[in-house]
This record gives sequence, C-alpha cells and structure tokens, in this order.
Amino acid sequence: MSELTATGGAPAPIVLPTARHLKWPALDGLERALMILCGICLAAFSTAVFLDVFTRQIGHPWLWLQEVTSAFFTYGIFFGTGVAVRRNDHLYLSAIAEHLSGAKRTVLEVFNRGVVLAVGIAMVVFGWQNFLQGFGSFRMPSMTPIAYLYWPIPVAGALVALFSLEQIVNGLKNGFDAAPDKDQH
Amino acid sequence: MAAQNAWILGIMTVMFLGLGYLGVPVAFSLMAGVLVGTALTPITFQSMIGQLFNGIDSESLMAIPFFLLVGELMTSANVVIRIAELSQAMVGHIRGGLAQVTTVFSMFFSGMSGSSSADVAVLSRTMAKPMGQEGYSPQFVAALIAAASTIAALVPPSIMAVVYGAIGNVSIAGLFLGGVLPGLMIGGGLMVYCYFFGPAGFRRKRATLRQLGTAGKGAALPLMIPVILLGGIMTGWFTPTEAGVIAIVYILTIVIPLLNPGHMKNVPHDFIQAGLIFSLPLITIAAASAFGWMLAYLRGPIVVAGWIGSMAGTDPVMIMFLLVVVFVIVGDFIEPIPAIIIFMPVVTNLTDAADIKPVHMGVVLIVTLAFGLITPPYGLALLMASKFVGTSFNSALKASLPIYVIFFATIAFTIFFPSAVLWLPKTVFPESVGCFKAPSGVGYICP
Repeated sequence: MSELTATGGAPAPIVLPTARHLKWPALDGLERALMILCGICLAAFSTAVFLDVFTRQIGHPWLWLQEVTSAFFTYGIFFGTGVAVRRNDHLYLSAIAEHLSGAKRTVLEVFNRGVVLAVGIAMVVFGWQNFLQGFGSFRMPSMTPIAYLYWPIPVAGALVALFSLEQIVNGLKNGFDAAPDKDQH
Repeated sequence: MAAQNAWILGIMTVMFLGLGYLGVPVAFSLMAGVLVGTALTPITFQSMIGQLFNGIDSESLMAIPFFLLVGELMTSANVVIRIAELSQAMVGHIRGGLAQVTTVFSMFFSGMSGSSSADVAVLSRTMAKPMGQEGYSPQFVAALIAAASTIAALVPPSIMAVVYGAIGNVSIAGLFLGGVLPGLMIGGGLMVYCYFFGPAGFRRKRATLRQLGTAGKGAALPLMIPVILLGGIMTGWFTPTEAGVIAIVYILTIVIPLLNPGHMKNVPHDFIQAGLIFSLPLITIAAASAFGWMLAYLRGPIVVAGWIGSMAGTDPVMIMFLLVVVFVIVGDFIEPIPAIIIFMPVVTNLTDAADIKPVHMGVVLIVTLAFGLITPPYGLALLMASKFVGTSFNSALKASLPIYVIFFATIAFTIFFPSAVLWLPKTVFPESVGCFKAPSGVGYICP
C-alpha cells in the first residue's frame, strides 16, 4: 500500500524564493508580514465563527462576533489580494507573455502590470473616498462606522500599485524573461 | 439607449477577455472592464469600488476559506494518503488498477475539499508518480485526474454550489444534495471508462477483508469530515460556514494530533498558506460581482433572457438546454465563479419564467461549468493537471475527448430527469426544493 506518494513534507518558505530578479529585497519583509497577516486573519476569522457557534449553542450568543467575523474575512481577502501580486499567485486566464521573448515580451509584461497598477491606483483613490464616506453609515448591532470594513480597499490598492511598480522597474532593468514562475491557474 | 448600453457592455467584455488573455490577472481584468464601463455611465467610480466590498459581504461565501483550509490541512499533514490507501484496498484489483483508485480517491476527497483545484493538486501529488511508474501515459493520467477532480465541484461541500446558492439565493443544502447523483454518475462513468477503454494497468490481488478493514480503520477519522460537514448542515445545526469551522476544529483537535502529531508545529504555516489561497477566488468574486452589477445596470440580463425566451418560450427543457449552451461557451473562456456571478440575473429571470425548480437549474448549470473545467481553451483543471503531471495541454486534451461523453450523458440526464436529481434533496431536506410542512404536522407538501 505504500507505493502511493506522500503529500506534505517541509513547509514552503513564507517569502517566495522565485522570480527574485523582479523583486526588491527591501520588500521581502513586507511580503512576510502580509503573509503572516493573512494567516492571522484566517485564524481570527475561524476563532470568531467557532465562538459564534459555541456561544449560540450554550444559549448566550455574542451577537457582535458576526461583525468581527466579517471584518477579518474582508481584511484577509484584501491583504491577500495585495501580496498575491508580488507572488504572481492571482488567477490567470492565460500566460501569453511567457511564450514571447525580447522586446515583445517586455512591452506586454509592462502593459499587463500597467493595467494592474492603474486598477491599484483606482482602488486607492476611490477606496479612500469610500472609506471616508463610511463614517456616515453604521453596522448593527454595535453601531460601528462601516468605514472599519472599507479601509483595507485603499490599503490593498496601495500594495497592488507598489508591487506592480516593483515588477515593472525590475523587469525593465533585469528583463522579464527569467521569470517562468507565473503559474497558469 | 439600448444600443448605447450594448456598446458599453461590448467594450467591458472585450476589455475583460482581451486583458485576461493578454495575461492580466482575472480579478484585475474584470475590474479594468468595470472601471472603463463606469467611465461611460453616470455611475461614480467610488460606488463601483464600494461594490467590491458588497460582492463579498455574504455569510455563505465565508464557508470558502474553511473548505480550502480543510484541504490544505489534510494535504500538508499527509492525512489524505490514508484515503488513497483505502481506495486502493477497495478497487485496486479491478482492471485499470491505479486509474480506478484515482477516481475513487477523488470521490472521497471531493467530500472534504469542495474545490477542483485542491483535488487536482492532491491527486497529482499522490497518484501521478505511481501511475507513471506503472506505465500509464502522462496524457491519460492528466486527463483522468482533471476529469475526476470535477467531482469536487458537484458534491458537498462544493464551493461552486456555495457561490451559486449565495448569489442566486438558492438553498445551498439543496444544491449540495442535488449534486450527489451527478457526482456519482461522473465517478462511476470514469470507472467504467477506465475498465473498458483505459490502460489495463498493473492488476493487484484483491485486498483481503483484513486489509480492507485495516485501510478502513486508518481512514476512518478523515472520513468523518464529510459526515460532519453534511450532517451539520442537514440537521440544521450549522450553516455551511459554521460546519466548515467545526470540521477545522475536528481536524486540529482529533485528526492531526492522533494521526500525525508531528505536524502540529506546521499548522501556523498551513493557516498562512490558506490565508493567501482563500483571498484569490474571493477577490475574483468581488470583481465579478461588480462586473455583474454593471451588467444588470445596463440591462444585459434582460436582453439575454429575452433572446433565450424568444427562442425557447417557457419550455423548461429548451431553456435549460440553451442555458447549457451559453454556459458551455462562457465556461470555455472564463472561470466558473465569475461566470455564475455575471450570469446569475439571466438565470434567475429564466428560472422564474419557466417555473423551473431553482435547485434543479443550479445542479444543471454547475455540472455544465464542471465540464468547462476540462474543455479548451480555459479548462482550469486540465491546465493544472497537465502542468503537474508534466505533459502538454494539447496532448492531455486529446486524451480527455472520450471522457467528454460521460459529461454529455450526465448533463443530459440532469436536464431530462429532474425528479431523479431532486430526489435526494426532497427526501433529506424537503424545504430546499420548496416543500413545506403539511398543516397536519405529518410529512411535507411539495408543489
């Protein structure tokens, strides 16, 4: 029965060691911190849902737990969105650029990251406006301003913009060709 | 006005598909399309960015991280190997050997992960190497793994069903139960295909009852996970999200400590990985829901529903057939989850118009989208499997073609036999298909 291949093994490093030529070492700490934040958000979110079930089962529900749950759920999604840009972990329809080389590839890679950069900037500008407006609406039952759920949008936008800029600058400097790591999801 | 809306919709669609195929991540190509569409309408950019949040502000969607975490924990703790060993003891002696094992293993693991991508990753890691050593061609292995992994999109806790239910306001429990029969049909169909048409493989001796018992004992604890997930939801104790977290607690307090205690030190790392992985489909859902919102604002669903309605009238079978055609085409180009979100208003309109049971329509479309996971040009499961197994997409695609017959048969079955599809939901959870308690208090009345 042991002919089947085991899964698992040593955990992968938190900071992805691939495509180093597109990365500034100075931002490795930020990638590590964001990855850990993603894990913390998931752990906090899981704990909040568990406590929600538990307190309900014992007949003393903590209603505010649902707000905590949705906060960590939202934070995790937007932090993950930001850091996934640096790691090229997002879902892709295709990876045409990988089949190109030289100037054509450079143009396409810069264009693609330029689109991501533009969307990131839009998330910062309009997400910030949304955040400010969120102080006028409130979540029940705690009456907390809904802005506490909106702040990760401009933050994620800033991360998206930063990491796409990092890749554009380094790609123009070092070339994109040595980056075969973009998984085709 | 209608022509202008059609232009804007056309521009948004071309932006999304064009950028997506040039290599912009799906979430960002969707958002780029939405932002350009917004610039051409009186809607403010601020409200569209806010729509990103509204798209994920759903209790049902919160189940997704837990189902992904279940898969991550089970895989990284190497607990899944026990299920593979049980599958081998059950069917390893049948003609097709490891191909049969792969299918049965996928059927078991699908009941825990809910994600075809997770299934492809696990099946590739566990089964591809031994299958290669036994002489199975890489293209056959990739095709089989991809096809088997689609079962995860059908059976509980299917993430596709969660999204469909959450966005379309359809009973998730009903979709879970309705997906069981098509899931079994695809699994059974793959086993029959491997038996008659696949490579013979290495024939093992039939496992003795003792060996089967040992393998069953070894896999008993992980196999409780589907029971917890489905049992909690069916009894009404938990929502799918809560059932997910109970399964996590069960894995962390019982399964890993008893079966692989040394892995406990790596659990924080599993949370970090799953914390990233869960954000990827959900930001895509957020962007797709903004896209869907714009589509609805521009009255796209009404137009498409009108086209289909004008061809099919209110004939439920014809409407389902046309929607299947639309979803086969759409599923060839975009991910199932954005497809569900973007087209849900069309589906809802037509489901109401033809008086189709929402759970039935959901199951038909989910099976269709599961088929899209192995069709070109964007068959996600086949792309992943061919990459993991180490063969070209085109050769894996050729090996998949005969398997398509199983999917055509299953889709046709789900369209033409609604009573069979709805039998399990109606029996186990009658409310999920619109039944209500009889005034006498005994039994249910099902319109």
